[in-house]
Amino acid sequence: MEIIGLVALWIGIGFCAIGILGLVRLPDIYTRLHASGKVSTVGLCSLLLGAAILMPSTTLKVIALALFALLTLPVSTHAIALAGYRSGIRMRGFSRDDMAIGFRVVESIETIEMKEEASAA
Amino acid sequence: MSDVVSFGIHAALLVLIVLMLPCVYRLWVGPSAADRLQVIDTITTLLIGIIVVLAVIRGDVMFVDIAIALAAFAFIGTLALARFISEKRTF
Repeated sequence: MEIIGLVALWIGIGFCAIGILGLVRLPDIYTRLHASGKVSTVGLCSLLLGAAILMPSTTLKVIALALFALLTLPVSTHAIALAGYRSGIRMRGFSRDDMAIGFRVVESIETIEMKEEASAA
Repeated sequence: MSDVVSFGIHAALLVLIVLMLPCVYRLWVGPSAADRLQVIDTITTLLIGIIVVLAVIRGDVMFVDIAIALAAFAFIGTLALARFISEKRTF
């Protein structure tokens, strides 16, 4: 049983190592976020599974921590990606930007609403 | 715990600590603020793993509570900093 836990722990560490290799080697922020997302979900959860098997008294707390990590870490990854986009970083090697169209629509709707509010006031 | 399992857990702790060094390289090089925020997020994830492995080594349940608190604060801090970077203001 302890050997199974150890194997799960090392699978998690392997995913962390691959993700951090991608974090160092990949060319721009979006591909790097793709790599570090693996560290935060698969790597951490496999590591926590190994710890829960190795130490049965903490299983409930470790499961709670794994659920919390699965809920929150992808959200922070998306927040970082949106922050990078809004601070003006563009994806390397692509000439078309589909997301800018959506942003332009949202901004024009917001300006129309602001003008309506200003005329109503 | 047998010798093999004990050695494996200690080696896991060592590897997790060594894995933070490439993150520090990216923190040094990273061209924009969003890169650095992402690296801080990754380092915090590694820290959660280190604390959980420490809990297994020490046989102490309390370390897992510390890991949960660290995860919560890291989430809030990352969201606040991401908003600060994207809008160039805090509130």
